[in-house]
Amino acid sequence: MPWIDDILKRLAAETAWSYRAGGTLAAEPLSLAALALAGHGHIADSRRACQRLASLANADGSVGPKLGEPAPGWPTGLAVLAWTALANKTPDPFADFSKRGVAWLLASSGETSPRNADIGHDSSLRGWPWVQGTHSWIEPTAINVLALKATGRNEHPRTREAVRLLIDRLLPEGGCNYGNTTVFGQALRPHLEPSGLALAALTGEGDASGRIERTIAYLEQTLNRETTSLSLAYGLIGLAAHDRTPRVAEAWLESAAGRGGREAAPYKQALLALAALKGECPLIALSRTLVGSDGCQQRRSPGTHS
Amino acid sequence: MTTHIPAAPHSADSPPTLDRRALLVGGGAVVAGLGGYQLLKPLWQPHSSVFIAKGQRYDGPIEQTILDGLLAGGLDPRALAGRKVLLKVNLVEPTRTAPQVTTHPAMVLATAEVFRRWGAQVVVGEASGHMRDTEMALVESGMTPALDSAGLEFVDLNYEDVAWVKNAGRASKLDGFYLPRPVMEADLIVSMPKLKTHHWVGLTVSLKNMYGVLPGIKYGWPKNVLHHAGIPQTVFDINASLPKTIAVVDGIVGMEGDGPIMGSPKKLGLIVVGTNLAAVDATCARIIGLDPARVNYLQLSADRIGPIAEGRIAQRGEDWRQVASPFVLLDRPELQRLRLAPGVCVS
Repeated sequence: MPWIDDILKRLAAETAWSYRAGGTLAAEPLSLAALALAGHGHIADSRRACQRLASLANADGSVGPKLGEPAPGWPTGLAVLAWTALANKTPDPFADFSKRGVAWLLASSGETSPRNADIGHDSSLRGWPWVQGTHSWIEPTAINVLALKATGRNEHPRTREAVRLLIDRLLPEGGCNYGNTTVFGQALRPHLEPSGLALAALTGEGDASGRIERTIAYLEQTLNRETTSLSLAYGLIGLAAHDRTPRVAEAWLESAAGRGGREAAPYKQALLALAALKGECPLIALSRTLVGSDGCQQRRSPGTHS
Repeated sequence: MTTHIPAAPHSADSPPTLDRRALLVGGGAVVAGLGGYQLLKPLWQPHSSVFIAKGQRYDGPIEQTILDGLLAGGLDPRALAGRKVLLKVNLVEPTRTAPQVTTHPAMVLATAEVFRRWGAQVVVGEASGHMRDTEMALVESGMTPALDSAGLEFVDLNYEDVAWVKNAGRASKLDGFYLPRPVMEADLIVSMPKLKTHHWVGLTVSLKNMYGVLPGIKYGWPKNVLHHAGIPQTVFDINASLPKTIAVVDGIVGMEGDGPIMGSPKKLGLIVVGTNLAAVDATCARIIGLDPARVNYLQLSADRIGPIAEGRIAQRGEDWRQVASPFVLLDRPELQRLRLAPGVCVS
């Protein structure tokens, strides 16, 4: 599709993968660009992006948000995903970066606290925070679940606990926000972007509570042609993770790709290109190749990329 | 840290005489950049003025109201020519089904027009606290068409490059703050909050609104670093560390009950303007039936950010007692204890 080719060309030509056009290099858009390029088979370009990503890695294995900003390390999981996606396509020159990144993830966690009647979620569950020393929230936890699954750690206790956390943080009526469900007995509102990302991380997971299914329904009912690029892309990735891609997805994505201004940022363009891959989007495909549709374990041993 | 300048209290019946000239000193320093800020701090006035306008509507002549309020507060239009003004709106978690959550676009357009008329370079900015998709926040708040119609630039403070500044307040354990470059480069930051209750700290107005200058890439979504360091302490610390701020409060429709996100709309018809955020927030607290001296971050701010005592805040425009309308608070003892003592006379 021409619009995807245009995006991939722009991503390949970038020197400062950034949150906005003309912005400075940032680890998240860089990781997403590397994933998009790898997912669409542009291996050499993805390798170049991964190399740049490696230059942002700290000695302890973490990756900070921007060049010159080594902390906090919440982009580390995204970097691990990018390096792992490339490793699936080519001899792995970044195995050591990925190994140290995973070690950093496993050594870090969000702060927990005893359950509090004022707060709806189970605050004793461990996931990941945005910033060390604070509570676990939906998006860093979802990113790191994807990273651990992609590196063969689907059954790791941290992955399993984080999956429980994600399901616990889904709103009873479906969807999620940044990570609170109820406060003082009042249910909060869902938002598309974190809901899509959480669903991506919950690919292949069972849920007796029905919250995953209701989150799928929320996305199906709420996404539309006008949805902003970030939310549209993550929403569609989340639906693809559960084989529920809407038939009009490609048209919506193409429409979003044609937007200018703030929506034309490399960050958002990379996500649109990723969403266009549907079930082959490496964010979810890496997990899916590890857990077969029949539920059998088909993944590499946990040490493969360690 | 600011220097506390003791001053004799004034009664509400005889507000301190604040001639325009005295405030022009503050106004001039406000727009003098970081160097000017250092000069401004020791010049902190023991008294401040707050302008209140009633009967306001989003489709009414609010540009004139805001202009009147800024002039009443002593801002010197001549000093703003060519200066960078950042309108810091509240887009913490916008949704079109609950417009009482966020600053109304009409307020932003009107304020921008006032500063543009004075020759300032105006941008609008926010680091949305709960939403990573800033474009969604702009769409849901109705801000996108407003910004586009006026040709106003929006700066996404969540993702901008940052600089570190020392914590000048030191009420919390934080050594300093990462501030986005547009905040550092602004000659004047206009806090443009919605007047809302807040289920943790009582109310959120212009001081608490400044949580939204801190970037998500460094503080997260939500900015949990600040919660862990103490909300009252960090509200004070951020404001003590920020240069050159004033406030234009959207109190036309506020939020009561379970604010700052899930509360109900409360029609007040008010616009509140002032050059000192502590004085503005203390006045807003009184308007909604809270005792500012019982609000923790206002206690911390008193006489350091600015005055909160009624006798040291000169009322311009309407008297707060004439427009007061107590807001519903959640039925929690820590919130109910913030109410003004019985017997405080409001009309």
